[in-house]
Amino acid sequence: MTSSLVRQVLILAAVALIPGVGEAVYFRHKISWRSAVLPSEMVTVDQARAWGGNVIWVDARPDEEFARDHVPDAISLNEDRWNDLLSQFLVVWSPGKKVVVYCSSLSCNASREVARRLRREAQLPDVFVLEGGWEAWLKKR
Amino acid sequence: MKTPIVAFALSILISLSARAELKWEQTTLELHPTAADKQAIGHFKYQNPGKTPVRFKSVHASCGCTTAQTQKDEVPAGGTGEITATFNIGDRTGTQVKTVTVETDDPTNTKTVLTLRTIIPQQLEISPTFVFWKQGDKPDPKTITVKVGKDFTVKHIKVTSSSPDFQAKVEEKGNGEFKIDVQPQETKNLIASTLTIQPEDSQKVFYATARITNSPTVQ
Repeated sequence: MTSSLVRQVLILAAVALIPGVGEAVYFRHKISWRSAVLPSEMVTVDQARAWGGNVIWVDARPDEEFARDHVPDAISLNEDRWNDLLSQFLVVWSPGKKVVVYCSSLSCNASREVARRLRREAQLPDVFVLEGGWEAWLKKR
Repeated sequence: MKTPIVAFALSILISLSARAELKWEQTTLELHPTAADKQAIGHFKYQNPGKTPVRFKSVHASCGCTTAQTQKDEVPAGGTGEITATFNIGDRTGTQVKTVTVETDDPTNTKTVLTLRTIIPQQLEISPTFVFWKQGDKPDPKTITVKVGKDFTVKHIKVTSSSPDFQAKVEEKGNGEFKIDVQPQETKNLIASTLTIQPEDSQKVFYATARITNSPTVQ
């Protein structure tokens, strides 16, 4: 009786496994919706503040959110208007400066995307993503 | 042994068909806008195969660049409809994955995540988009590489510098590849130039920046 029950459970589990394996194979090349960021490319509010004036804060949120409030002296750079805003950011950037990009919260992805493009397309060094984003900064303000 | 398995499977099927739950035609859509498109729009179609109506509690997108709209607040039993997700492309590039979370009053499955995967075609891939010289550096030329995207044909590109202090020379390398040599006249002054890169027979314009920066900050 027990062995029959175990066998039935195993059969059901095996059947349930088939679509799971199929999906894993089918989606093996599909990317995650969140850009991967190495731990070394993340920075906390306290760490970024410790860098003092050697930091350029980059606000990756939409224009309206930036207009409402932002980190003092932050520069707006979002992907809605990347071409317009990038040149304004590059006027401020200079070698040796650290760049800290933030978006709304821990779950947003815009800061990761902006940081990735600054590293990959503009080939800037020392570009970091702020852990927890604007929400984390507000808590420490 | 077969009887309990069949009974179990049947009971699941019966309970699934009886409850009020939206059945989605697809929860993931892949969109392929053209290079000229400003938006990519996805239609997530659903059906309510249950015996009671389903009410939408909330529909929200994962980012400000995406909006989602329902046609109605309540889906009657047997009713159909769709959620329209509009992704504003802006200056984004590559593959963009955005989600729309739909919450209904169905107690067994309150949340459904709809995924919109948009493949934005890239006519030109420019690397790097920024070249700089430190003040006092030798004004040697720096190279920007331009590669034509796989679905495009570009035979010539035109590059214009916004400032006469920087010169840009284009070399056609073949196989959809170009080399732009950028050179400042001198590096004494903190000057900058926007390089406008335009493929032949195309309205689309790409940009790169050249700049003389000040020396690194001493730590």
